[in-house]
Amino acid sequence: MVIVMEKHTAENNVERVMAELIARGFDVHRSTGVEQTVLGVVGDVAKIDTREFELFDGVQEVVRISEPYKLVGRTFHKEKTVVKARGVEIGGPEVIIMAGPCTIESETQMFETARRVSRAGARVLRGGAYKPRTSPYAFQGMGVEGLKLLRAAADESRMATVSEVMDISQIEGMLPYVDILQVGARNMQNFNLLTSLGQIRKPILLKRGMSATIQEWLLAAEYIMTGGNYDVILCERGIRTFETYTRNTLDISAIPVIEKLSHLPIIADPSHAVGRRDKVMPLARAIVAAGADGVLIEVHNDPEKAVCDGPQSLYPDQFARLMDELRIIVPAVGRRL
Amino acid sequence: MNRSDAEQEINRIRDAIDRVDEVIVRLLNQRAKYAIEIGEIKGVLGLPIYAPEREKDVLHHVEKTCEGPLDGASMRRLFERIIDESRSVERKAANRD
Repeated sequence: MVIVMEKHTAENNVERVMAELIARGFDVHRSTGVEQTVLGVVGDVAKIDTREFELFDGVQEVVRISEPYKLVGRTFHKEKTVVKARGVEIGGPEVIIMAGPCTIESETQMFETARRVSRAGARVLRGGAYKPRTSPYAFQGMGVEGLKLLRAAADESRMATVSEVMDISQIEGMLPYVDILQVGARNMQNFNLLTSLGQIRKPILLKRGMSATIQEWLLAAEYIMTGGNYDVILCERGIRTFETYTRNTLDISAIPVIEKLSHLPIIADPSHAVGRRDKVMPLARAIVAAGADGVLIEVHNDPEKAVCDGPQSLYPDQFARLMDELRIIVPAVGRRL
Repeated sequence: MNRSDAEQEINRIRDAIDRVDEVIVRLLNQRAKYAIEIGEIKGVLGLPIYAPEREKDVLHHVEKTCEGPLDGASMRRLFERIIDESRSVERKAANRD
């Protein structure tokens, strides 16, 4: 961190800032220029709130040079993290496709969808048992009974499972059935939930909040990792913008940005981003082309009858066609499918 | 001076610089030992590590003592870094006990 003092500020202003820094246990590298003094702050500056020092008399600017996060960043962990879930490696050479319905509804729906998507090449089966619905009158999910269907359908098609956890109280009950626990966009900054997920030893798929900056998202991942759970997968799912034609705007640029800032695997969800089936396929192609480690995509065996998010779910045939297209793209970005 | 003489001369001067650096390093460590002693005393007496008045005196002193070819301002800048490191070792010594 660097503190830039105002031009020709009084010496006692510089001294007050230095005294405060030193009293807090930081080392200071002072550089007195002809007009302006600059203080380099050395130590664990992540815990400093820069605003505190901006308020000192004579301070022009406080500049953070290091990131406020440690465990998620590339600085201290150069190697890419590969998260393993039931034999599926996310973050390795293979682009991992996670597919399935928004909501678990019935045995037929889960088994049929699992068979179709796994035949097309999906490795992870998705399906929600606890649904964060905008309206309290909408279907809220099947709970543990749904998770049992998810597990059985995935086992039959030899897939791993991913499902959303909404509350601390659900974690324990989900562990026997779910290989990757998903934190939804609305819960990205539910810090109590994140802290609890740091205590378990199962991969977490952390979706980006719909108005979260990349830094806030990475700090949310840091919450999980400080608990000792290092298996975190980041998932871009669209952010709120001024555009109303699509539900959200998928931030494709987040993929290469995360790739640079963090060693954690980054995947993206085109279905929730755009909210319309006809736009899902081009976005999925763009996600893979941008270098993502995976795609999380909604597929329903019978979208017209889906209780939730039918219009954004792909038909199984569409999904198979998409997989064929992705197989053409992956070699161009040095990956396989 | 021909080319090979010049190269020899550069090497001779570089050797001389290395010898001077060794003396500087020894003296800086000597200085750091004093700083550590002061840090220990400050720790016992509970005095603040950062003593801006004393730092000003030190800089003023070296500036005054400096006879060139480095000018006073250059010497001040060099000593700012020496003081930064002294403060750091003092703080560690004060917190040790």
